[in-house]
Amino acid sequence: MSKKILIIDDEAGFTKLLRMNLERNGDYEVMIENHSVHALKTAQAFQPDLVLLDLVMPGLDGGDVAALFQADPKLKKVPVIMLTALVAHGETSTGSVAQAAGVTVLPKPVEMATLRSCITDILEKS
Amino acid sequence: MSAPEGAKTQRLSSKAISAPPEQILHDLLAESPSILASIVDNLPVALFVKDADHDFRVVLWNKKQEDITTIPREKALGRTDFHMFSQESAQYFRQVDEAVVRRGKLFEIPEEIISTPGGGDIWLKTTKAPVFDTTRNRTFVIGISEDITPQIRVREQLKELNTHLTLANQQLQETQLQLIQAEKMESVGRLAAGVAHEVKNPLALLLMGVEYLASGITENDPNLPEILTEMRDAIARADRIIRGLVDYSSSRQLSLESHELLPLVENALLLTRHEVRKGNINVEVIFEKDLPPVFIDLAKMEQIFVNLIINAVHAMEGRPRPNLEIYAYATRIPEVERDEGARTARHLRSGDEVVIVEIRDNGSGISEENMQKIFDPFFTTKATGVGTGLGLSVVRKIIELHRGRISLRNRVSGGVAVSLTLKVAPTVQDELDKGPFKKKQ
Repeated sequence: MSKKILIIDDEAGFTKLLRMNLERNGDYEVMIENHSVHALKTAQAFQPDLVLLDLVMPGLDGGDVAALFQADPKLKKVPVIMLTALVAHGETSTGSVAQAAGVTVLPKPVEMATLRSCITDILEKS
Repeated sequence: MSAPEGAKTQRLSSKAISAPPEQILHDLLAESPSILASIVDNLPVALFVKDADHDFRVVLWNKKQEDITTIPREKALGRTDFHMFSQESAQYFRQVDEAVVRRGKLFEIPEEIISTPGGGDIWLKTTKAPVFDTTRNRTFVIGISEDITPQIRVREQLKELNTHLTLANQQLQETQLQLIQAEKMESVGRLAAGVAHEVKNPLALLLMGVEYLASGITENDPNLPEILTEMRDAIARADRIIRGLVDYSSSRQLSLESHELLPLVENALLLTRHEVRKGNINVEVIFEKDLPPVFIDLAKMEQIFVNLIINAVHAMEGRPRPNLEIYAYATRIPEVERDEGARTARHLRSGDEVVIVEIRDNGSGISEENMQKIFDPFFTTKATGVGTGLGLSVVRKIIELHRGRISLRNRVSGGVAVSLTLKVAPTVQDELDKGPFKKKQ
């Protein structure tokens, strides 16, 4: 059965192309949510195996969304990869607070090879 | 029998009352010929007469003329200007004298400079007129000169002072523009992280597109048109924001031109998009329909909006439902407060057509005490590193350079409203009305 990935990011164009890439080269079922305020509802309905979460979004930011997921018994264990244009390359692999909290942070722009291996690793572990 | 002295005076007086004025003068000159010389000598203006039939030789030269030319009467009488003044000055006087006789009418020389034999240059205002003696059939040129050297000196000094003042003013304006530029570059530094974020997003999309295309595509891949459209849009978006930042950073000089306000506000919002989004701020831009263009320096006005938006973002930090409103409408100035600026033509006046822009937040507001100091340079309530406190003082300076007005007030519902008053750009018709064919009011 294909794994379910939920992308929560307000950048509609980016999410569309990311989904195309994920669906083309991997056995994934991808759902997009461009409005962070609907993220919890969408996640509850979709029940993803992994979440790709943007950090800076209008309405609720990535941190708020992650907190909502943590408070939901069915979502709290779902691994999250934070994709953000805020951090620079090199800032992500230095044992940041995010990593300590079990959240993987990847900088935008991200190469598909990096993202794919990250997704595979996390899904294998969980 | 001779009449007593008193009776004689009495007789002259009674005659004076009844006689026509020219008769009085005639009698007076007949009784005392030296009185004419005395009158001429005591005139507060320089007077001379030249004989046009005899090479314009001097026939009369009064005391004041002696004083200002430093040429004594005995050296002037019977001589021509060529004996007394430089060749150049004499040549000029001769030309004027000949013209006066030829035209037969008065000739005014508002300013003429002559070099005196005493060595100094003096400025004269001279009026020359022809006098025709019909009985002897002779022509004279009478000249009256007034020494205007002190006035000219004062004028020259004023001119010099004015030059210094203009220069100092230019230097001041240059310094102000440098300060504005310095403040702007500092804000570019503050905006850089946000702008980088805004550029990284389209870059991320582009990379996604490249990855898709690089992994091999078939000719009839249904995703292809959409991917290419998205990539094109992303390039345009990154280009727009980078160009916006470059435009924002450039332009040191003040260049006032007619511009629409809305695109400018949109660009300022693009540059501050990251901060606004991070602060979770709802933005409402409400512009009156058909808002006339304003007379502004695009880059500097954008600097104002970036500054005011960032201020509003900071003021709303941690507040519930942060809301930023940018509201603009056109109106006419009903009445300008009587202050220094209002008296000069270059500032706003009653009846001027203006655009009012209000930037309203629902943040923490400004205390009465801080409101007094809000435009002071280096006054800030922000933490070190967040702001230098130059922002609003520079904003006000830019508004002053635009001959506009800025005011701040606490809103009744909470937060602050900053109001900018900007002159509407002159229309072609306004320019025509200002021209030489302007209708009289």
